This record gives sequence, structure tokens and C-alpha cells, in this order.
Amino acid sequence: MKHLFWILYGCLFLSMVAGFFVHLFLHPHIHFFWEALPIFSAIYGFIGCIVIIIGSKALGYHWLQREEDYYEKHERIRSEDK
Amino acid sequence: MIEWFHPGLIYIFGALLIPVLRGRLKKAYLLLLPIMAFINLLLMSSGVFSSEGKKWSLSFLGYDLFLGQIDTLSIVFAYIFVIASFCMMLYAIHIKEDGQHVAAYLYVGSTLGVVFAGDLFTLFFFWEVMAWSSLFLIWYRRKKVAYQAGFRYILVHFFGGACLLGGILLHLQTTGSIAFETFHWGWELSRNNLASTLILLAFLINAAVPPLHAWLTDAYPEATVTGAVFLTAFTTKSAIYVLIRGFPGVELLIWLGAIMAVYGVVFAVLENDIRRLLAYHIISQVGYMISGVGMGVMGTAAGEMGINGAVAHAFCHILYKALLFMGAGAVIEVTGRSKLTELGGLYKYMPITFHLYMVGAYSISGFPLFNGFVSKTIVVQASAMWHLPMIWLMLEGASIGTFLHTGLKLPWGTWFAREKPVCQAKEPPKNMLAAMGITAFLCTLLGVYPKILYNLLPYPVHYEPYTFSHVVTMCQLLLFTFAAFWLLRRMLHGEPTITLDTDWFYRIAGNGVTWFCEKPLMTFANFIDRNVMSMAGFFVWFSRNPVVALNIKKEEVKLIGKKLFTSPERVEEYGRGLEEERRRYPGELPRLTSGASVFLILLSLSLYLILYLLMVF
Repeated sequence: MKHLFWILYGCLFLSMVAGFFVHLFLHPHIHFFWEALPIFSAIYGFIGCIVIIIGSKALGYHWLQREEDYYEKHERIRSEDK
Repeated sequence: MIEWFHPGLIYIFGALLIPVLRGRLKKAYLLLLPIMAFINLLLMSSGVFSSEGKKWSLSFLGYDLFLGQIDTLSIVFAYIFVIASFCMMLYAIHIKEDGQHVAAYLYVGSTLGVVFAGDLFTLFFFWEVMAWSSLFLIWYRRKKVAYQAGFRYILVHFFGGACLLGGILLHLQTTGSIAFETFHWGWELSRNNLASTLILLAFLINAAVPPLHAWLTDAYPEATVTGAVFLTAFTTKSAIYVLIRGFPGVELLIWLGAIMAVYGVVFAVLENDIRRLLAYHIISQVGYMISGVGMGVMGTAAGEMGINGAVAHAFCHILYKALLFMGAGAVIEVTGRSKLTELGGLYKYMPITFHLYMVGAYSISGFPLFNGFVSKTIVVQASAMWHLPMIWLMLEGASIGTFLHTGLKLPWGTWFAREKPVCQAKEPPKNMLAAMGITAFLCTLLGVYPKILYNLLPYPVHYEPYTFSHVVTMCQLLLFTFAAFWLLRRMLHGEPTITLDTDWFYRIAGNGVTWFCEKPLMTFANFIDRNVMSMAGFFVWFSRNPVVALNIKKEEVKLIGKKLFTSPERVEEYGRGLEEERRRYPGELPRLTSGASVFLILLSLSLYLILYLLMVF
């Protein structure tokens, strides 16, 4: 398990180095200003993932998540009403 | 002589023979139908039965119906639908119930009918067949929840169908044409625009665009294991096809698509049911296609890129989403469980299913060498060419979420996450594994040789996916998503909850409407009814003897006056007299002699005569 992590860290590092390499030697066509940053995708991926998880969970806890029998319970109440 | 045979009819008429056949012959026949349709398509595209733009027409009610309009756009959708139907049928071939196969092939056939429809009536006909044939793939689950979800599913689709028919009729009235061509749509108020809006609405319902998407995530996870695989491909992707035909370059679609892409991702975080999680990702992925359609302004390089992206992504999406649903379906088939909270540690028993599922997961996430990478990036590239920074960020952000859920959370929670497996399990039947294997092979093939796909697209492709820069960017994005997932993986355990979505409006608020009709509206109606009836009763009473009745009413008014000014004893005495009079009412009625009656009748008749003469002159 331990060596798998070293591989992961290695890959993360390599991808960033490759980003710098691309920018220095290949000069890709840039559409937006942030693409000038060689490691923009890495930052966006990392922060984006955290924001998606925390944002969605917050939305769920405060508003959208309900117990599993939510709709069944409403149906039961309705049929008792009749 | 028939110069071209409709591939959809191979499925529709072919389905009729299924109940007659038995055993191995039936299995062979079921697989033969898509192969026949595929050969038919090959002959069509090589120009034996049709040249570009050639139509197969039929006369109906004075209109020419075009059942077969073949061009580069319809042919590419037909190819993927036929290929996918082969893989899906192989996955479902062990099912003994003939009805399921018949429903599936009617569904596929009618989708091909939509794809080749050259006029709006044909489109509407196949559109409706598609809706109800797919319903049976849900109902064959034979569970109460499936029946209920199926009813909601079909009601939404009937609403969509009604919008489509209304739009078509209005369109016919305003333009006089039933040809299925690009519609004019804008923000102005006109009858023609209303027609286009209704048609667009019907298309958007089938494409599951929020807030009109809840039928998908509500019903697909309740379908049969094999039926759900069919459902993932046809309804939403045929909607993409008709949107490309009818509404290319509508700017609203760019935004709707980008919102969809993010919407699906957000809801997938909260989902516990594995197939519902994947269903939210259908919405997210269809978002890319809708966005691409919106960017598809005719005659511009960026527009052609957008349309190419939408078509390519639909092509790839059908394959990898089928594969993902096959993997999730295999887990449900062998364990009977579908919730992340009840799954985990199954890798020990189902390693092959896991690896094949992961091919789908890599594809949907857009890993280089898998097909998602060669199609999704075209749409993202088109947004860059249009200089839409917000759209670009939303689409890239949705890729992060896609990998997070289908590539990490779902497989982690199903095959790992626990030390010990939650239950006994085994690999699914061989035909299921074979179907997954073929689909996985196709996903990888298109990823490695994107030229096969690019040559089929409606416009020439000026895009190279495998540049060093594209690959590095994607690797950074996905690797760092993985890093963030690993940090926060404890937050991503399944929770035994459901998530409210827009189906709440017709499941709960809809109940409110029925309550409103049953309670307040009914009370109000009863109130009106009581008052009208008592007034009618009064008139009946009054007309028995109007003279005496008037007298009684007069006395009643007098009594009220006396109550104010005289002693209670006298009032009581007076009241008793009035009571007596009421009791005797209507009393002796005045009798008329026969002469007087005749006179009265003649009088009324002559009044009528005068009135009539006045009216005439």
C-alpha cells in the first residue's frame, strides 16, 4: 500500500513538471488567461473536487437530503386522510 | 420495388417473431436482428439504397411523409444505436420473458424511426412509440416502486408528447410545412415562435434538461437490470439528435447544457443508489452535448466544432454509459442490493466486473486512451473557440465531478471500502460479461483510434485530441481530483437518505393540488350549491301563491318593526298569527274560469307575436 502512495505522489509531481515543460517548450495556443499558468489544471482539479464535495454535502444537509421513506410517509399520511 | 429498407422496421417487425421462437434459436435470432440492421446501414451509407438526401416517402392525409431522410447526421446516430442495441441485447439474452425483448426492440426500432424521420408527423408517431415501449422496461421489474415510477415517467412523457403535437400543429398552421428542418426560435412573441417553443420544450423534456429532468433519475434506477441499460441510450440521445436538427446554435442551450453538467454532478455526490448516481451522470454528460448543440451556429468553424462535439460525445456516451449501467446492473443482479450503504468489499468475488466497469469509468472521466477523452474535449474546445470562459470552467468542473463519482466514489464504495465483503457474490452470467467486454473494447478502440469516429461525424474534424498539452492538462486535472478524493474519502461514504429533486413538485406539491381540490375547493362548491338550492326552493315556495306569499313576507317585516316598538306579549301574539298563516300556505288557490284561462293564454301569445314582429322589422 505504502509504495502505491509513492507512485501517486510521483505521478502528481510528474504531471506538474510536464505542465511546465509544455509551457516552456511547446507554447500551446491559449484561449483564457488562466491557461498561462502551467499547473492551472492541477489546482483546478484539487480545489474543484474539494468544493464539489463540501458544497454538495452542505446543500444536502441543509436542504435536499431526507430519510429514505420520505415519499412513502407522505403517501401513508394521504391515504389515512381519506 | 423498395429501394431502401428502414432499419427501424427490422426491429419493429422483427420483434413480432420473438414469442414464436424457442431456446437457442431465439437467442440467435435476437442477436441476428441488430446484425441485419447494421448490414442494412452499411449498404445505405455505401450508397446502394440511397444517395445523400434521398428520401423514402409515403402519402398520408394529403401530406407526404418521409420515413427515411438519410444524411451524415442521421447515419452516425443510426450506427451507434444499432451497435449499442447489439451489446445491450447480448447483456439481456438470458432473460426468459419475451415481453422484455419485444419492448426493448420496439424501443430501439422507434428510436431509429425518429432518427430517419424527415417530417414532423413521422417524428411524432415514433416519438410516442418510444415513450410507451420504454415504459415496459420499467414495469417488468414488477415491484410497487417500479410501477409508481413508471406511471410518473409516462405522465411526463405524455406531457412532452402533447407539447410536441401542439407545436407541430401550430407550426403547420403558421408555415404550412411539415418538413423536419431547422426551426426559427427567438425571444419574440409570435404564433410561429410559440410553435417552436412548444417543440423545443418537448425536446428538452426528453433530453432531461433541469428542471424537466426528474423523470430520468426517478424511473431509470427502478427499471429491470437489463432494461435500464437500454434506457440509458435511446431517449436522451435521440433528443440530442432532434435538437441538432431543429435548434442548432440556440444560445440558451449553451447555458442550459453547462448548468446541466454541473447539476448532475452536485446531485450525484448525495446519491446512495448506484444506478441513480449513474443516472445523474447521464444528465451531466447530456449537458455537454446540449452545450455543444447550443454552440453549433451554422457556417462557422466553432459552430461545426460544437455540433461535431455533441455528436461525438453522444456516440461515446452511449457506449460507456451502457457499460457503467451493465457493471452496476451486474452487482444488483448477483447481490440484489443497489445502495452504497449496503455494498462494499465485493472485489474478492467480482474482479472481472470491476475491471470492465472501470473501463467505462475511465471513459466517462475522459482519461487519455479512452473514448470520453476524444469526444468531451471537442465540446470544451468549442467553448474555448467561442471565448466563453464561464462555460469552459463549468464543463471542466463537471469533468472533475464525473471522475470523482463514477470513477472513484462508486467503485470504491461497491468493490472496496470494507475489509470484508458485505455478502456472498459471484461474477454475473457469461453473456453479461461478454457484453461488457465488447462494450469495453469499443470504448478503448475509439479512444485509441479516434479517426474511426471522426470520419463518421457530420462536419470535417479539425481537432487533434492527442497533443502533449491536452494529455498533460487532463492528467493534471484527474490526478489531483484523485488526491482530493483520497483526502476527503471519509466524507463520501454512502448515506441512507434520498435527495429531493424537482419530482418533489409532482409527488408532494402535486398531492397539495389534489388536497386543494378535495378540501377547500369542495367546501366552497358545497357552499355555493347550498345557497343556490335554497334560493331555488324559495322561488318554488313563492310561486305557489304569490299573493299570499307576498302578504306573509310583508307581515314578517312588520313583525320585526313590532319587536322594536311594542311589548313582548303583543309580539308573541302577532308571531303566532303569522305562524298560523305560514302553516295554511299556500291555502285556497284562486280558481280561474275556462274563459279567463283562454284569455290569458291568448294574451301571452299575442305578446310573443308583437315581440316577434318587432324583432323581424
